[in-house]
Amino acid sequence: MGDARSAPDGVLVEAEALTRVYGEGETATVAVDGATFSVAEGEFLALIGQSGSGKSTLLNMLGLLDTPTRGTLRYRGQDVSGMDKLKRALLRNELIGFVFQFHHLLPEFTVLENVLMPALIAGSHAADVRERALETLELLGLSGLEGKNANQLSGGQKQRVAIARALLNRPAIVLADEPTGNLDTANTEAVYDLFRTINRELGTAFLIVTHDRTVAQRTDRIIEIRDGRIVGDVKNEFGRPARD
Amino acid sequence: MLPLKIALRFLRTSPVQSALIATGIAVGIATQVFVGSLITSLQASLVEQTIGSTPHVIVRAPDEAEPLKVTAAMLSVVQTDPRVEPGAVVPVRVTNALLTDGEDSATLALKGGDLGGLDAIYRLRERTVAGTVRLGKGDVVIGTTLAEKFSLAPGDSVALTLPDGSRRTLRVTAVVDLGAEAANERQAFVDADLPRSVLGWRSGEFAAIEAQILDPFDSTAVATDWRSRLRGVRVVEWQEQNADLLTALQSQASSSYMIQAFVLIAVALGIASTLAISAVQKTRQIGILKAMGMSDAQASRIFLWQAAALGLAGTAGGVALGYALLWGFSFAPVQFSIRPEPSFIALSASIGVAVSMASSIIPARRTSRVDPIEVIQGG
Repeated sequence: MGDARSAPDGVLVEAEALTRVYGEGETATVAVDGATFSVAEGEFLALIGQSGSGKSTLLNMLGLLDTPTRGTLRYRGQDVSGMDKLKRALLRNELIGFVFQFHHLLPEFTVLENVLMPALIAGSHAADVRERALETLELLGLSGLEGKNANQLSGGQKQRVAIARALLNRPAIVLADEPTGNLDTANTEAVYDLFRTINRELGTAFLIVTHDRTVAQRTDRIIEIRDGRIVGDVKNEFGRPARD
Repeated sequence: MLPLKIALRFLRTSPVQSALIATGIAVGIATQVFVGSLITSLQASLVEQTIGSTPHVIVRAPDEAEPLKVTAAMLSVVQTDPRVEPGAVVPVRVTNALLTDGEDSATLALKGGDLGGLDAIYRLRERTVAGTVRLGKGDVVIGTTLAEKFSLAPGDSVALTLPDGSRRTLRVTAVVDLGAEAANERQAFVDADLPRSVLGWRSGEFAAIEAQILDPFDSTAVATDWRSRLRGVRVVEWQEQNADLLTALQSQASSSYMIQAFVLIAVALGIASTLAISAVQKTRQIGILKAMGMSDAQASRIFLWQAAALGLAGTAGGVALGYALLWGFSFAPVQFSIRPEPSFIALSASIGVAVSMASSIIPARRTSRVDPIEVIQGG
């Protein structure tokens, strides 16, 4: 068992027969059933499935918000399946960035404070990470908005602030759950492009959960889940953006 | 310090709610400060009125009809006791006298003793309303009621009939207010020699040695001590003679504690329910923070800090409001003044903050149970 923070050997996430059962006995429901797959460092992939297919449950386990009933989950070789709540919280803070369908910004705080939050939770001083936060905001085209309250922004801006927040701790992977579900076409495009840019520039892996096949088609790999089982895992050669 | 920062921000972004809860704490603490100080001062005043100007411990002969033979050794035991108020020890002799003036007559208790000692216990000079207190041969100091009843003023002469049948004419040097109607009508002070000649006692013979002590509530211990050190005497003290008063004081103290306890419980319930509502309102924020990696303990501390901040602000306001109420009360037409005890105020303030902190336990526990998954998927 290695340390999840140690140098990567190429494989970031390994899921082995990952299973999540809710309830017991006759009322037991298998939400995810024996999911086996791996995600490489810097990979850009989509997880697709209908609603109720188990994709959110799988995402929660990958995001260390939930623990599997059976099976193994490893981050950079370290088994995290049986980890206690506190250790999972620490690892989540360090390795994983979340982008949700709803921006989930803290309305009591400014844009900059929202972006700084993951670093502050990790115990950093605001002054030490302020520069990085401003850089991240710039990367996302949000310069000049840092002093605004989160409530004063447009829907697209809010989602970009949420992305900046997810990126602040320079996570190994961003788990994005229907990140463009609430955005119009133009903003959807913009967010997708941003993900690609970040993936390329920072080497951050992206796992995008979506039911929108057009979004999924633009990733490098598509995992499909149906009734809790992985029914497809294909490389998508057409998803890569053209390189000049 | 992140939980503190978040706590303060939560409080600042709900100013009305924060102000209401801090005001609730302030009113509770102000009530405690006011009621507590009122009862304590009222009790001090009652004790002062009852025994402030009377001897606390009295040494007598075993048989009250017999004189007490006062020796230098006996006086030394009493005078050198560090618990005794310096100078407030006086051997006294007491005799009755009848004052008649036409149709009116009154029985007086003449207490004879050294003016210095009598003044230290009965505060004759302090309580003088007319004349100048002097207790030379043929002088008498009388109470205000008697002076009114017989229209007596300093310089007037009074003719007294004494138990031995003799008649004496004494000169009133001062009229004093002894603080109680009965004393003002009956009690009079003369030089030590007058009762001695009436009673036919020798120079070392007295009715009693009267003493006042620094802390009146030490009287039982002092009396017990003197009983073992002085042979052939009877020692009485004010507490055994005023059991009713002590019971009343204790009942009053108990009811005061009960009022204070119920006020604190009401304050605690108020804070707990408001913080619980706040915890429900902030469930989404807590869930998001937890998704980003905030631990349960850190999340719980947000509400602990909120309670601490509200407790400190509310308590500070409460102490100020309490002092304001006490100041307002100083204009009320009552016989006593309230003196707030700093130690009691400090205790009230500590209790206020502690109760606030304790009230955060429920919301803090609720917070630690918030599941980020539910919040994230709830939208």
